[in-house]
Amino acid sequence: MTRYIAQRLVLLVPVLLGILVITFSMLRLIPGDPARIMLGEHATEESIARFREAMGLNDPIHVQFWRYLTNILHGDLGRAIRTNEKVTVELMQRLPATVELTFGAMFLACIIGIIAGIISAYYHNTVIDLGTMVGALVGVSMPVFWLGLILMYIFGFKLKWLPPSGRLTVGVELQSLTDFFLAGVAEGTWQYKLKPITDFLSNFYILTAILTGNGKALWDALKHLVLPSLALGSIPAAIIARMTRSSLLEVLGEDYIRTARAKGLSERVVLFGHAMKNAFLPVITVIGLQFGSLLGGAILTETIFSWPGMGRLVVDRILARDYPVVQGTVLVIALIFVFVNLLVDISYAYLDPRIRYGS
Amino acid sequence: MADTPGSIPAAKPRAAELQLPPQTTLYLDALRRLVRNRLAIAGMVILGLLLICAIFAEQLAPYDPLEQELLLRRQPPSAQHWMGMDEVGRDILSRIIFGARISLQIGIVSVSLAIVVGALLGAVAGYKGGWVDDLIMRVMDILLAFPSLLLAIAVVAILGPGLMNMLYAIAFVSIPVYARIVRASVLSVKEQDYVLAARAIGVPPTRILFRNVLPNCLTPLIVQGTLGIATAILDAAGLSFLGLGARPPTPEWGAMLGQGRGSVFTAPHIVIFPGLAIMMTVLGFNLLGDGLRDALDPRLRV
Repeated sequence: MTRYIAQRLVLLVPVLLGILVITFSMLRLIPGDPARIMLGEHATEESIARFREAMGLNDPIHVQFWRYLTNILHGDLGRAIRTNEKVTVELMQRLPATVELTFGAMFLACIIGIIAGIISAYYHNTVIDLGTMVGALVGVSMPVFWLGLILMYIFGFKLKWLPPSGRLTVGVELQSLTDFFLAGVAEGTWQYKLKPITDFLSNFYILTAILTGNGKALWDALKHLVLPSLALGSIPAAIIARMTRSSLLEVLGEDYIRTARAKGLSERVVLFGHAMKNAFLPVITVIGLQFGSLLGGAILTETIFSWPGMGRLVVDRILARDYPVVQGTVLVIALIFVFVNLLVDISYAYLDPRIRYGS
Repeated sequence: MADTPGSIPAAKPRAAELQLPPQTTLYLDALRRLVRNRLAIAGMVILGLLLICAIFAEQLAPYDPLEQELLLRRQPPSAQHWMGMDEVGRDILSRIIFGARISLQIGIVSVSLAIVVGALLGAVAGYKGGWVDDLIMRVMDILLAFPSLLLAIAVVAILGPGLMNMLYAIAFVSIPVYARIVRASVLSVKEQDYVLAARAIGVPPTRILFRNVLPNCLTPLIVQGTLGIATAILDAAGLSFLGLGARPPTPEWGAMLGQGRGSVFTAPHIVIFPGLAIMMTVLGFNLLGDGLRDALDPRLRV
C-alpha cells in the first residue's frame, strides 16, 4: 500500500508542473500587451510602464517562471488588480463557501442517487425502473444553471419554502470564531497567532454556527444551502443512480446471492446484507470522480445563487480582466481537483486489493 | 478461380444450400440493432426535428429573431407569440428556432475539431511509442487535471469572450478524450499480423495508419463523439450564460438564459423555454449516443 501511494505521488510531479506551466502561461498567452489589457484603455503610457516593471513583465520568460514558482512555494499568488488585496487572502475568503456547497451537493446527490439506484434495481424491468432511469437521463441532460433558476423560482419565490439566494439571511447574526474564542486576546500572545486560522474557519458558516452554538444561524445557513446543492447535485445524483443500479444488477446475478436466497434469507437481508457490500465499490469510485466535476459546476451554480465562492470569483474577475486572481483561482481549483482524484484512487486501491497487486 | 464450363460441377455447393447466414456488415448489423432500440429512436426523432429547425429556420420562425417590440416586453405566451416575448420584446420561439442552428453548429464543429486533433495525436503517440508517446500522453494527462469547464473558461479568458473563441475552447478541452481512445486502439491493432504484413511489404506508415489502423477506432469514436456533442452543447450554454460565449443579440440558448435571468421571478417563461431547448437537445444526443454504444458494441452493454 505504501509503495502504491509513493508511486502515485511520483506520478503527480509532472502533472503539478504542467498545471503550473499552464496557469503561468495564461497571462503571457493573452494576445497583445497584458499590462495594457489589465489596466484598461485609458491607462497612461507611464502607468503601463510602471505596472510592467512592478509585475516583472520585462524580465526574460524563464526568470518570470522561476519567480512564479518560488512565489507560489512561499504562498504568494500576487495581488488582485481590482482590489489590491493579496490573491491568497481573496481565495481564502471564498474557498470555504465553495467547499460547503460541494459537500452539500455531494451529500444530496449520494442520498438521492443511491436510493433511486436501489429502487430501480429492485424493481428491475418494471415501469418504476424505466421511470427512474429516464429521470436519470433527463438529469444528466439538464443545464445546472437552468435547474437552479427553476428551483429558485418554484421553492424560493412561488412557495417561499427556502431562501432563493445568498448564504445567510440579512439580520441573522453569526459571530466569527475569532470573536468567539479569541475575544480579548492581546496582540503578541501565542493565542493571537491562531487568528488567521480562526478567521479562515469562520467562513465555513455551518461549522462556525455549530462551534459557537448558534442554532438559529445554523438552521438559516442549512436552508440557504439546500437549493444550490440540489441544482449542483443533479448531475452526480443521476450518474450515481445509474451506477448503483447497474452495479447492483450485476451483483444480484452472482452465485452467492442465489445461495443466500436459497438459504431462505429475506430479500431485504440479501439486498442490504449481501449484495450492497460488493455493489458499492464502483459506486464509490463514481462518487469520488464526481467531486471534480462539481468544482466545474460550482462556477455556474454560484453565479445563479449569488454564492460568494471561488467559482463566482473567477467569472467576475475574467470579466473585469483581473488576471492575477483568475490565475490563482484556476490554480487552486486544479490542485484541489488533482488531490481529490488522488485520494479517490488511493481509497479505491485500499478497498479493492486487486488494484494494488494487479498488473 | 472462376468456374469454367466443363469443370467438375456441384463440387462447390451454393451458399444457399449451405444455409450461410444472410450477408451482413458490422454497420448494417449495428443499424438493425439501433432501430430496434426505442430510446435511440426517440433521440433520433428529437435530433431530426432540431435539424429541420436549424436548416429551415428562416421559413419556420414566425418572426425575426432580432426584431424588438418594446411594448410587448416580457409578455407571457399568447396566440401570436407561442413562447412569449423576452426582456427586450423579441419573439422567444423564433429565437429558439434560430438558436438550434447555433447550438448544433457549436456541438458538431467543436467535437469534429477535437476528434481530428485528438485522433492525430493519439495515433502518433500509439504508433511511434517511446518518448513521443510519453510526451503527448503526459500533456493530455495535464489537460485532464483540470475540470473541463474550468479549463474552457481559462482558455476563453486568454482568447477573450466570443462565439468562435468559445468553440475553440470547448474543442481544446475535449481533445484528450479522443487522443486516449485512438491511442488505445492503435496499440491494440499495431501488433496484429495484417499490420505487420503491410509494414513488411513496405506500405508507408501514413497509409497504414489511415487504411488499417484508424478504421478500427471508428466505433468508440462515433459513440464518444455523439455523447461529446451533448457535453459540448451543455458547456457552450454554460459559457454563454456566464457572458463568456455568444454575445448579445445572438439567439444562443445559453446567452438567452443569461440575459433573461433577471426576469426569472417576473416572467419565468423567458428562462423556461431556452432551458427546455437545451435539455431536449442534450437529451437527444445522449439517447442516440447510448443507443449507438449498445448497437455498435454489445459487449459494453450494461
